[in-house]
Amino acid sequence: MSIPSIDVRKLTPTIGAEIFGVDIGHGVSKGQYDEIRQALLDNLVIFFRDQDMTLDQHKAFGRLFGKLHIHPEPAFPVAGHPEVITIKADENSMRVAGEVWHSDVSCDAEPPMGSILHIHNVPENGGGDTLFANMYAAYEGLSETMQSFVGGLSAMHDGNAAYRDKPAVPDPDKVYPRAEHPIVRTHPETGRKALFVNRYFTEGIVGLSVEESNALLEILYRHIEKPEWQCRFKWQPNSVAFWDNRCAQHNAIWDYFPQRRFGYRVALCGEKPV
Amino acid sequence: MIMERFDFLVRSCKLADTLIDVQKLTPSIGAEIFGVDLGAEISARQFQAIHQALLDHQVIFFRDQKMSVDQQKAFVRQFGELHIHPGPRFPIDGHPEILGIWADENSKRVSGEEWHSDVSCEPKPAMASMLYIHEVPKNDGGDTLFASMYAAFEALSDPFKRFLSGLTALHTGAAAYGGGRSPIAATNIPSAEHPVIRTHPETGRQALYVNRYFTSHIAQLSRSESNAVLEYLYGHAEKVEFQCRFKWRANSVAFWDNRCVQHKVIWDYFPYRRNGHRITVSGDRPFHQI
Repeated sequence: MSIPSIDVRKLTPTIGAEIFGVDIGHGVSKGQYDEIRQALLDNLVIFFRDQDMTLDQHKAFGRLFGKLHIHPEPAFPVAGHPEVITIKADENSMRVAGEVWHSDVSCDAEPPMGSILHIHNVPENGGGDTLFANMYAAYEGLSETMQSFVGGLSAMHDGNAAYRDKPAVPDPDKVYPRAEHPIVRTHPETGRKALFVNRYFTEGIVGLSVEESNALLEILYRHIEKPEWQCRFKWQPNSVAFWDNRCAQHNAIWDYFPQRRFGYRVALCGEKPV
Repeated sequence: MIMERFDFLVRSCKLADTLIDVQKLTPSIGAEIFGVDLGAEISARQFQAIHQALLDHQVIFFRDQKMSVDQQKAFVRQFGELHIHPGPRFPIDGHPEILGIWADENSKRVSGEEWHSDVSCEPKPAMASMLYIHEVPKNDGGDTLFASMYAAFEALSDPFKRFLSGLTALHTGAAAYGGGRSPIAATNIPSAEHPVIRTHPETGRQALYVNRYFTSHIAQLSRSESNAVLEYLYGHAEKVEFQCRFKWRANSVAFWDNRCVQHKVIWDYFPYRRNGHRITVSGDRPFHQI
């Protein structure tokens, strides 16, 4: 029996674990890599504390897990680092990204499989937590009848509503990503089924009337948002969250205006949902 | 032009043939029938024509009818056995098959203000109901709305139809008849499980068969899924596109098919009086057949 090289402490029975005993910016051993990957698959989102890393180190850690994803509409691009998006909110912010439950960029034909957020500054008022929700549990919490109904349906996801008014100077000609994905997605690594619709990007269910689609999506969204399948993460400076977009949704809480929160995120390329 | 004349001739022939004059109220539901005296003896062919009109239009209306209680019962008996209501609020002495309909300045509530299909809480709910209104409120209120549950079903998308097709729902009289709202004892309140989509035994058409008044939940779904799905279906079933609205006069008669129709009475005439007699035809156990 090999001795675990990292320490995994679950946050809730359903989702989330804090990982101790690894400095992700400064070289991760093969054994540690395997255990981190397994912890991600098991817990859907994993957290690291007190990680001091540069953008290059952040990207290098991300690249261990796959190719880095280029965001279609970064609100705050970082010069020389197209794979990195800035997450920031301060006294000038009119809005923050991700205040609605979502899976990152699900409007892409191949949405990012995971995202790694490194927060540098946390708001002084103790706000700015992020909620994560387990979409396996949400799927499994549906009745069998509902599982089989939604299991046969797919939904359109559209970046337009999320991104159109985001730039300071909106470009009316810009075309945003749009894709059709199954409502129930099979995770390519675990083989488990997860709900894959979200309030931020999902536009409608294919084959249903607009009203039926709205009604069914509302049922699913409310179901998805039950606290039974959530964890809530309180950030500290240099905390890192690494989540699996294929089976988790998250919701960033903006309860700290006008205070400042700042960090960087990289995302890993994913495959077409099946 | 020639076609129009031809159509006119066909219609005239049909009229002569069926001996009734059917005038549709809306494309989805409802027709007024003229040329029939329900209190008199009607021929087999006239009966057949009326029966067909009921199947075609789901609710049919007659004006200026003069019928005694016995004549009303005799007419309705031609459609089947008469149903005895489990808890009449206004029983009529010597006529257990008649449900008295009454509202006046003393009424605290009226029955059927919510959309419903009559006594769908029973294992074999009423097939059809005939309401004969004797007196209409003086303020011109008291209309009744009828909605086609065929049209409601047909307007659903194919995936949604398939989803609902295998499901059943629990119906209970608790909200309608419990809590002292009727003379029925709490232990005798009827309840039953019925398919959400009901196949009409005579037309073979599919109809949505859940209603706000009696349906409590869908058996195969969790409570919260069921609440949300039912709320959606109720909202859908209540679309004006599937409805007609009937304005009563004294001695108007409505005869509706509970297997494919929901109705709702409007109580917009307090403190005025409205009264009449309802007779109901017993029905079959609802089923679903693709």
